[in-house]
Amino acid sequence: MSDATSDKLKSSSDRPAYDLDAPVAPYSYNPSAWSQRIPICVLAAVATVISVYMALYQWRIIGSVWDPVFGDGTENVLDSKVAQTMDRWIGVPDAAFGAFAYLGDAVLGLAGSPRRWQFRPWMVILFGIDVIPLGIVSSVLVVLQGTVVGYWCFLCLITAVISLILAYWAFDEVTASLKYLWRVWKISGDWKVLWKSFCGRATDAGRQAGIELVKEAG
Amino acid sequence: MWARVVECMIGIWLLMSPFIFRHDPDATAIWINDFATGTIIIVVSLFSFWRPLKLIHWGLLAVGVWLVGFGRLSASPPLPGGYQNDILVGLIIVMMAVIPSEASQPPDTWRLNEP
Repeated sequence: MSDATSDKLKSSSDRPAYDLDAPVAPYSYNPSAWSQRIPICVLAAVATVISVYMALYQWRIIGSVWDPVFGDGTENVLDSKVAQTMDRWIGVPDAAFGAFAYLGDAVLGLAGSPRRWQFRPWMVILFGIDVIPLGIVSSVLVVLQGTVVGYWCFLCLITAVISLILAYWAFDEVTASLKYLWRVWKISGDWKVLWKSFCGRATDAGRQAGIELVKEAG
Repeated sequence: MWARVVECMIGIWLLMSPFIFRHDPDATAIWINDFATGTIIIVVSLFSFWRPLKLIHWGLLAVGVWLVGFGRLSASPPLPGGYQNDILVGLIIVMMAVIPSEASQPPDTWRLNEP
């Protein structure tokens, strides 16, 4: 049957339902399982709270920031010229913007079924873009902050470490999704089918790729 | 449907924003903006519960982008609180708008195509 008609298929009772928790190659577990994703969401939520706390200082809703290691280092970083320039660019304190990015990690981590590596690759990849490249770049910027601004910010360093942990934790799910899309491409060789599969539509190639990858996981 | 519920609550927040951030009574644009976008967000998020219009929440992407642009460009930084509120609310609306309504379930097209 062709992919053009496959969307209109009706479910048939003589075939088993998808196992949403099935492990997927190249792993022996399911990287989209709730047990894999919830820790990411919790840690991202912690980073969101820390960022909001620092934004509250930049808004002057609170008058000082807790920093057990560098004393007034955090306040110097949050009030620095670099931070003020970024505020004027974005329009909101940079910490508030960071809080939004971490909130995005948590929300995009939460959305989707435990088989979203196959059923919603676009979401896994959007989540991956938010967590991995943005997370790594922001961590590097935090470290540069110490050298450029001349002060260190304890809470910024904590959030940078959280960013790197999140990037490491998210890596397997993004890999599984990309491997799925690559398999769809190898099976179909058709950009349209690849695009439909990316957008989360059911295709014959996508169905076959999913079955193969679950089988290869053992 | 949690994304739609969050959007609805954000819409209510926008309706309250002119009073929370004490907009200048002469700055009519932001009063209209907050009431209008708040109302649109509430209506669109609720209409998403109706099956034939279940994808209408994607339209909130445009509302989110509008809010960010309005907040950022209507005044020059440092922005008054009300405009910063529009930017941040807009960003959150953009983020929520992409979340499917039955987010924890497979999409319809896969549910109707069991292997």
